[in-house]
Amino acid sequence: MALVPFKYTLRSLFVRRSATLLTVFGTGATVAVLAGVLSLNKGFEALFEAHGREDLVVFLRPGAQSEGESAFSDDRADILLKSLAEVATNASGAPLASAESFLAVRLRKTDGGETNVPIRGVQPATFAIRAGEIRIVEGRNFQPGSDEVIVGRPVSERIRDASVGDVLTLNTTPFRVVGIFEHDGPLDSEVWGDVERMRVALKRPVYNRVLAQLRPDAEVAALAARLEDDRQVPAKVQTEREYLRNQTGMLSGALQFLGFFLAVIMGTAAVFTGTNTMLSALASRVHEIGILLSTGFRPMAISLAFLLESLLLGLLGGVVGCLLALPLNGVETGTTNWQTFTEVAFAFRVTPDVLVRAVGFALILGLLGGTWPAVRAARLDPTDALRRR
Amino acid sequence: MSLKLVWRFLLSHPVRSILTCGSIVVAVFLLCVLRTTVVALGSSIEAAAANRLVVQSSVSLFVPLPLSYQPKIEQVDGIEHVIKWTWFGGYYKDPQNFFAQFAVDAAATMEVYPEMEITEGSYDAFLASRQGALIGRDLAEKYEWSVGDRVPIIGTIYPRADGGAWEFDVEAIYDSRNPAFGEQTLLFHHTYFEEVLKAEQGPEALAAGVYIMRIEPGTEPTTVMAAVDALFESGPQRVQTTTEAEFNRQFVTMFGGIPTFLSWIGGSVLFAILLAAINTMLMAGRERTRILGVMKAMGFGSGSVFALFVVEAVVLCGAGGLIGVAFAKLVETPIAVALSTMMPGFVLTTETILAGLAVAVGVGLVAALVPAIAASRLRPVEALRAEV
Repeated sequence: MALVPFKYTLRSLFVRRSATLLTVFGTGATVAVLAGVLSLNKGFEALFEAHGREDLVVFLRPGAQSEGESAFSDDRADILLKSLAEVATNASGAPLASAESFLAVRLRKTDGGETNVPIRGVQPATFAIRAGEIRIVEGRNFQPGSDEVIVGRPVSERIRDASVGDVLTLNTTPFRVVGIFEHDGPLDSEVWGDVERMRVALKRPVYNRVLAQLRPDAEVAALAARLEDDRQVPAKVQTEREYLRNQTGMLSGALQFLGFFLAVIMGTAAVFTGTNTMLSALASRVHEIGILLSTGFRPMAISLAFLLESLLLGLLGGVVGCLLALPLNGVETGTTNWQTFTEVAFAFRVTPDVLVRAVGFALILGLLGGTWPAVRAARLDPTDALRRR
Repeated sequence: MSLKLVWRFLLSHPVRSILTCGSIVVAVFLLCVLRTTVVALGSSIEAAAANRLVVQSSVSLFVPLPLSYQPKIEQVDGIEHVIKWTWFGGYYKDPQNFFAQFAVDAAATMEVYPEMEITEGSYDAFLASRQGALIGRDLAEKYEWSVGDRVPIIGTIYPRADGGAWEFDVEAIYDSRNPAFGEQTLLFHHTYFEEVLKAEQGPEALAAGVYIMRIEPGTEPTTVMAAVDALFESGPQRVQTTTEAEFNRQFVTMFGGIPTFLSWIGGSVLFAILLAAINTMLMAGRERTRILGVMKAMGFGSGSVFALFVVEAVVLCGAGGLIGVAFAKLVETPIAVALSTMMPGFVLTTETILAGLAVAVGVGLVAALVPAIAASRLRPVEALRAEV
């Protein structure tokens, strides 16, 4: 079967410039919205899931959904810290485990208003566990046992009195900011200090969670099963990655739903527009089609040409949509981690994966929009078509 | 006469008219839903009662206040009632079944929250029952709970010592007259809450999440706020007293960039739909060159040809707008129920409906402009000669 030359399809699009442009930009806007939602979700995932480590485990009180709800008394935390065979040790044989306190504290933002900032009290072992993950970029680390804190870089920019040398008052206790740190994951949004000092200042009688690094051969599932109904210290054990995924599940799910909802609804409108455009193209080309048919092109070939034209429209719309969405890349935005009620800042990430999906979506729109006109084109009667002007 | 013409024009390409109308329907529907969402996000601020104040820890949302604060607050002038209000944070059977539960001072709760209307059971029965619970209408419908049922709630913040559930007896069901005070809340007695905590964790575990006060009519809220804050200036827990609106605002601002983001999406929808409508009207204009030539030759003036296009576009888009708004109205209740735990107040306001219709008509007007101007300027001789 002889196909209608590709050039014909291209020229058809070019001849009907205004309709082509309007359709392409309309589809483009739709695709851009989808790409925007997808890249928002990507940015979110990148922050949380990508930085959870598989070799770290988080111990929470059974039933607790987040560390804010979890609590371990001193003696229970002590057992977790010192008596687990699965936990890795440092060169001198001390377990790489740290009891931490966690509280979302109300602090004032530089641009006015208040926000909840997570304050984490840690033991020195935390820094051994996170060696290489936490980078002090200004000042120095806090001294164990002292009223000093270090602050994540984004926090130091957003929050008042959070630069090196400032004094940050927690309840009634003043803490001196001595350093700024960076972390590629969510820890970047926190303030860190000595866990015992934090517990005193914030009047917290308990630790919130225990963090430990496992030996390479340790079985997380077995450890989790054993501690689940442990008499002495019942605990919920998750790898850090699992823990972070659970933290963001709700928001991530909401974003995915939003993306799906918008894609279906706006996609419907875009398909309607595409169909309109192609039907109009068909109507103005009936005579031409008659000529093509009478020179021996099969109806199938005509049909394919129309479908191809519609797919090209979709492709162009996809490209325009991607171009519209690209400037979003890196734009910082913020929302709240509803599990802990703390602010998380993250950036849109327009990844190749997002672009591929956006273009794929645009092609589907093109395909759907072209189907009906293509069927109509194939059904034209040659003599009748030739007669029409 | 000319209306009949508009009708004929619309029907000359039924498929195109339907598809164009369809995309307007979709767009107006989406715009209404997005706008309603943005409005709902802020509704708890709008709908807050001016005579309710909230006393919370100035350190953190998660730090409770000592029980000893209540009698001290009650001493402050201008306060009618002070009630404990503690976020319980539990779920029913599965963490997915999450909704708000509060332990409250039941006796004065109805005075402080007059928007609650008991529609089943009785408030007195709730007051008399040690493990009694007062639940919202939506909650009762969602889990098919009725008066007399015993409801097990697993506490995530306050787990029972035996690992089991807290049990509450549904004694009354309320409807809310305030869209921002949702019907998906379970209230139970603070006395029962304290009783269990004291027995299982000792007296030092007792505390109240926040205190909610109703002030006397004519009292200046700022005076009361300052007086309460001053009481606990030197600890042990410093407090921050705010209006209910301010208290709610701290949760609303947590949505961060989301409202802006939704507005951007709305803008894109508008843009896409405008282009679609322009496309349709241009196509219509192009195809009709010859007919318009005939009409003009027959004596139709430029003005009436112009009007013809405008009316056609407005009728087409307006119809789309109406159907779109109708769809939005149709999904209003299901969405409101689905979102009520996270975000009460999903109500399609008159303003939103009018905005949706205005957008539809506006899009029609703009889309008609180019072909309408072209048509009014058309010279009959050229038009008749044109090949389309």
